[in-house]
Amino acid sequence: MKYLIIGNSVAGINAATAIRQNDTNGEILIVSDEQTRPYSRPLLPNWVIGEVSFSQERMFYRGNDFFEKNNIETLLGKKVESIDTKAKIVSISNSESLSYDKLIIASGANAILPKNIVGIELEGVYTLTNIKGARKLKENLDNIDSIVIVGAGLIGTKMAFDLSKIGKKVVLVELAKRVLFPALDDYAAELVQAELKKNGVEIILNDSVVQLNGDKKVSEVVLASNKKIPCDACLLSVGVVPNTTFVDENIRVDRGIVVDDYLKAFDDCYAAGDVASVYDVVVNIRRPIPILPLAAKEGFIAGLNASGALIKFNGGFAMNSIEIGNVGFISMGLIESDDDEVLEYKKDTEYRKFIIRDNRLIGVILVNNVEKAGMFNWMIEKAFDVSWIKDTFLNSDFGWKYFDKAFRVLRLDRKLKG
Amino acid sequence: MKLVKINEDNCVYCHLCEVACKTEHSISKDIIKAVKKENVLSRCTAEFNYPYSASIMCRHCDDAPCIFACQNGSMHRDERGYVVVNQDTCVGCWMCVMVCPYGVIKQGKNNNDWDLSVKCDMCPDRGIPACVEACPNEALTFEEL
Amino acid sequence: MKDVKTYTPPDFHVIRDPDRCIKCRACVDQCSFDATFYDEEEDKIWNWDAKCVGCNRCAAFCPTEAITIENRTSPYRVNESWGNSNVVGVKKRAAFGGAPVVSMGSDKPYIVYWDHMLINASQVTNPSIDPLREPMELKTFLGKKVDRLEIQDGKLKTVLSPQLEIELPIMFAAMSYGALNYNVIEAMGRAAVDLGTYFNSGEGGLHKDHYKFKGNIIVQVASGRFGVYKEYLDVASAIEIKIGQGAKPGIGGHLPGEKVTASIAQTRMIPKGTDALSPAPHHDIYSIEDLRQLIFALKEATEYKKPIFVKIACVHNIAAIASGVAQAGADVIVLDGFKGGTGASPQVIRDNVGLPIELALASVDDRLRQEGLRGKISLVASGGIRNSMDVVKAIALGADAVYIGTATLIAIGCTMCQQCHTGKCAWGIATQDPFLSKRQNPNIAAQRLVNLVNVWGLEIKETLGAMGINSIESLKGNRLALRGFDLNEKEMEILGILHAGE
Repeated sequence: MKYLIIGNSVAGINAATAIRQNDTNGEILIVSDEQTRPYSRPLLPNWVIGEVSFSQERMFYRGNDFFEKNNIETLLGKKVESIDTKAKIVSISNSESLSYDKLIIASGANAILPKNIVGIELEGVYTLTNIKGARKLKENLDNIDSIVIVGAGLIGTKMAFDLSKIGKKVVLVELAKRVLFPALDDYAAELVQAELKKNGVEIILNDSVVQLNGDKKVSEVVLASNKKIPCDACLLSVGVVPNTTFVDENIRVDRGIVVDDYLKAFDDCYAAGDVASVYDVVVNIRRPIPILPLAAKEGFIAGLNASGALIKFNGGFAMNSIEIGNVGFISMGLIESDDDEVLEYKKDTEYRKFIIRDNRLIGVILVNNVEKAGMFNWMIEKAFDVSWIKDTFLNSDFGWKYFDKAFRVLRLDRKLKG
Repeated sequence: MKLVKINEDNCVYCHLCEVACKTEHSISKDIIKAVKKENVLSRCTAEFNYPYSASIMCRHCDDAPCIFACQNGSMHRDERGYVVVNQDTCVGCWMCVMVCPYGVIKQGKNNNDWDLSVKCDMCPDRGIPACVEACPNEALTFEEL
Repeated sequence: MKDVKTYTPPDFHVIRDPDRCIKCRACVDQCSFDATFYDEEEDKIWNWDAKCVGCNRCAAFCPTEAITIENRTSPYRVNESWGNSNVVGVKKRAAFGGAPVVSMGSDKPYIVYWDHMLINASQVTNPSIDPLREPMELKTFLGKKVDRLEIQDGKLKTVLSPQLEIELPIMFAAMSYGALNYNVIEAMGRAAVDLGTYFNSGEGGLHKDHYKFKGNIIVQVASGRFGVYKEYLDVASAIEIKIGQGAKPGIGGHLPGEKVTASIAQTRMIPKGTDALSPAPHHDIYSIEDLRQLIFALKEATEYKKPIFVKIACVHNIAAIASGVAQAGADVIVLDGFKGGTGASPQVIRDNVGLPIELALASVDDRLRQEGLRGKISLVASGGIRNSMDVVKAIALGADAVYIGTATLIAIGCTMCQQCHTGKCAWGIATQDPFLSKRQNPNIAAQRLVNLVNVWGLEIKETLGAMGINSIESLKGNRLALRGFDLNEKEMEILGILHAGE
């Protein structure tokens, strides 16, 4: 059995692990356009500012002996040009062809380059979703004094804080009325904004970049509001788009590759990770959910299914763990709602918010007291009936003590699966 | 694979499991220094809600969500089969905290001041986990679960 | 408002070494008397000495030996005539207008006769026996013995009275479900089964779950008749009519309302939260004939298959009373001395009323022998049996077996702080509080009881061997095995023993 995996990051590696667990003899080949050992993508901002280096094991997703130990072949530095799902052939650069029995597409997603921004092709414009983009920024870092960051998402906000920390003049521009728009509500976002401002970041909300000016290199950013900001670099972090350019007509693509509940896109062809459009159990639509834990789980299930199992992926939902300076959050699901039951608690620096619909938890924000976040994650995932326990959610010491004995014993003795 | 069974009917909320855990995971292995000087975090947490009390720690799940969530493979399964954190590579991103269905991972720091996920490692240097041995009332027992 | 006229200095001083204290809060969460606190703001643990009862639970748990509990001597000017306890006694009564209630046995410095008796050993003329080589018979039978056996046609014609067979002459004393909690009764039951002996239900009835110990239970019918009904009598191996209790002769049992939970209420068949007061006399026993009637009523109800015990407190005419009880038809007489423990008793009664078991036992044994009744009944002694040698001496003075109450509790954690009546027992023994009760794990407690009684058994065997005896039967009533010292002539006479050296 020949297994071919496109993509050497979280989803791809977990798929390979699952396949090897299920099939000790099959050939596994991972092809990727990245030349490096699989690295931790969330650590790229830290790498850029010099907090970690590629000489540290910390930087990598798996140990040096991972491929050898699991008998996995890799073909690195090769970009997939097209796939033929009927003939089961994948064409890579230099017209090489790879045949497969089972294919897993884990090609991930990369930074959106908004086509409407004039001047986007100038030098000094950076993105930060892969090592290539990160390397470009890191190499020029010393020559940058001031930078405009477009898009206050996870990457943009984190970079804004980190670059300001090392002495750069940072302006963070965001289209929405707050930073981290999908991850936090107004109150929580304001706490982040205060922390950013405290560390020297200038924040411009409700605005967007329409033009980049400069002679060969960007020297000024023009906003929709007509504001002009001088700078010597611009980081675009407005979102990611799945890499699907190489698929054929048998693979449906909406925002990402469309897959069924078993992560299957077509016969003998699976997709997992940031590239796949999966079921979001909180907002009830299919969409790519580019979150690392989900990519790992999807990759693993796709691998199991490709190698003969029939495991359903029950869907996921957005979840984030962020630390900006002294403010640490975990949020998940739907973080604001006018129609549902909302529970809130604010005291000193602690904030707890829960959104409940039909007695099911669908959203959580926790600020500065996050250690029990996973318990709520489980409740959202299992659509747990919280009618009898939701009164205790706002307690700072929420935990197993508020459940009843029968439920506690079932779960702690691991008698209830999951 | 043996695990620590939690028998809440026997727990008297004496915190001796926490003290033993801190001592075992300290450098000095001295009770007083472990707590006062090294500020070791206990991997098990005793909790109380009259008349209930019990000490809760990692269940070493078969399909551990924390391993999937870890961004650089620090959370892994060791040769014994238990889920442990590689303290040299963990960056303290708290993704594992975000997905742990038991809420048993704590936010700590390692010796080099990097943030570090702290959770039960089933005492790799001992035959019986420190908390089990310290419990005076069989509220924590070491058995197949 | 602080009542300064009643100011009595705290009995105990809690000393915490700040260098050793790691603020683990074990002491804070173990203290059931609200004497230990944690101040979150100051990150400090502190105590109210006045509330400390000296149970030592905190010191026992402290992982760094940071706590010392000290007995405070009274800071009042020393007065040998009054003594601290009398001064405090007057102040308390003046302040509260109520009779103070205490628990456990009397702690007053009365003479302990056990400690004035020495045991013989064999040498030369009558060699001692090696208990590791020869079998030592500790087994005994409690019940009415016959004067002689009649055999006809190779078969036994004499009808034998029902007997209680015990592997060794030690049984667990009557301590009610109510005074103690479920877990402790469970432990006593398991230990009794393991050891081949019996535990006594006390006057509180028996929880349904403990019926499983059928075959090892002596049930008590006391003046309140709590929990007495058909199933209760069915599950019993013997039935004990409790006329009196050594710790509080002349008055009835007392379970404070705080300890009457839903389960206790159900078992005792009384309303929840009410004080369970047993009347002083049985209101249907006003003469020895009434007692005889009750004894036979119980025998009828149990088809004459179970021995009937009668428990009497040791009081002045104990010998005459015991004689009457033997004639009334009891199979076993239980003598409860005044050092016995209690879950709750008025302080003055516990400390002033009754007789020591040693004297009572000796005089009852003598009187019954004189009247030719000794063979008709078995004698069980209780009230301050503290070690295996007290058991040996008790048997030598005439007992067939002993009951241990206080020793049973000490074995599972009791430190005799005398707060049982508050229901806040820090060791989880004399409390119904569900959180405190967890402190007694029946597995661990049962094991400790088995350990204690087994070791006492070994020590008794060792001593018997040293005495040249290989069976308890040979020790029973054998006054010559004992010698007294530092006792006056009258005491020696009543005990019926010779002076050391004679």
